[in-house]
Amino acid sequence: MLNSTCYSTSSIQSLNPTCPSSLISTLHKPEIHYISQNTRTRIVTYNTKRRRRRMASVAAMNAVSSSQEVGVQDQKELKKGIAELYDESSGIWEDIWGDHMHHGYYEPQSSVELSDHRAAQIRMIEQALTFASLNEDATKKPTSIVDVGCGIGGSSRYLAKKYGAQAKGITLSPVQAQRAQALADAQGLGDKVSFQVADALNQPFPDGQFDLVWSMESGEHMPDKEKFVGELARVAAPGGTIILVTWCHRDLSPSEESLLPEEKELLNKICKSFYLPAWCSTADYVKLLQSNSLQDIKAADWSENVAPFWPAVIKSALTWKGFTSVIRSGWKTIKAALAMPLMIEGYKKGLIKFAIITCRKPE
Amino acid sequence: MRLLTHNMLSSNIKGVVNGFPLKIEVVKVVEKEVDFNIDFLKNMFHKVEWKALAEASRTMGYTELPENVDAAMLDSDDFLHKFHHALLELHLEEGALVCPETGRKFPVQKGIPNMLLHEDEV
Repeated sequence: MLNSTCYSTSSIQSLNPTCPSSLISTLHKPEIHYISQNTRTRIVTYNTKRRRRRMASVAAMNAVSSSQEVGVQDQKELKKGIAELYDESSGIWEDIWGDHMHHGYYEPQSSVELSDHRAAQIRMIEQALTFASLNEDATKKPTSIVDVGCGIGGSSRYLAKKYGAQAKGITLSPVQAQRAQALADAQGLGDKVSFQVADALNQPFPDGQFDLVWSMESGEHMPDKEKFVGELARVAAPGGTIILVTWCHRDLSPSEESLLPEEKELLNKICKSFYLPAWCSTADYVKLLQSNSLQDIKAADWSENVAPFWPAVIKSALTWKGFTSVIRSGWKTIKAALAMPLMIEGYKKGLIKFAIITCRKPE
Repeated sequence: MRLLTHNMLSSNIKGVVNGFPLKIEVVKVVEKEVDFNIDFLKNMFHKVEWKALAEASRTMGYTELPENVDAAMLDSDDFLHKFHHALLELHLEEGALVCPETGRKFPVQKGIPNMLLHEDEV
């Protein structure tokens, strides 16, 4: 069975490490649910039926928004950069790695062949669904899915096929949207899946449309985490599930105001190359979900389960095909490729976390 | 963009109270055949905004959909085929979706709507 490293007992005691200590005492102690004794997996469940929800909401805004001051002009530059990076590089990614633009899920400490990675990427989707309790009951299938930050639509197509559902994918990249639709049409999924160029911070859908809101490794691009989470909550249907898999920085300890200067420096370098805004922690996301009145919030740290990924990507970029493709794709792709060792450094230092956070919208 | 998608898109410009349904400006419509699936259609029948679908279908040049419907029509094969055609087989390849309140046009190119907002619209 696969192990995943979750929050340790000490961090559970402190509940939300970035919360001011005065707030901690007003919040319920979270329940720790043991999914399976023999995997020794622990998941922290946050009980959201709190009396002082308004206080939690204010603290959430303060904790996250102060690190989020990305001005409107900066946001415009960032989004343009994101679109251009993916317009430039999606083709070569697909060529070498296939249509899933996310990490694979591996046994910790395993060594993997390049050919195993595609299966690992599928495993990542399935693990995420299992974590969100969507793989248990065959009668509780989502029928309407939104893939927020859909890339070339790998997840959209996979989920639409798995559940026989309608899926809509949104991306900032016109090239990705085109490619995603072409792949869907080619796979006979053109009537089930559609793609639009749109902004996750302003989703072009009316409220409550989707019983599964899926964001697989796109949250790290969102310059306004509060708005991002607000939109995920808005478009979720009552009773619907939200699954967020994203890169975070480590939770801060109660005595910390912010990350260490050298940690910020490392993240800044990565941000420049990957077109990322400021990072937040898993605990920050949990607070935002709480402030949107979402329930059954569960979070886990899967960093150990994705460790083989970046070395594998680097290896693929150093093959003749990989190397020449990167060079040909353009400067943004080259810069992104050069930043890959920084991700490994970040993970090794316990600074970067691969997080999954799931929850449900109340009925 | 097929009309099933159009039926789920709305204008999210700041200040707009009712951004649904988006009006359609047609430059190029393409018809693409899709397998007929009765269960799917019956399911979708209860989910679609019919008036929006009927209006959109007319704009796209297909006038066969009735203005008013009820569930009894699902027994009619003829109705189901018309519903199927309008919902799934008509594609807006080039054109625009128009915000019903502000008139702002969201371009549709190669069948993909671009719903990105400008800075003054967020």
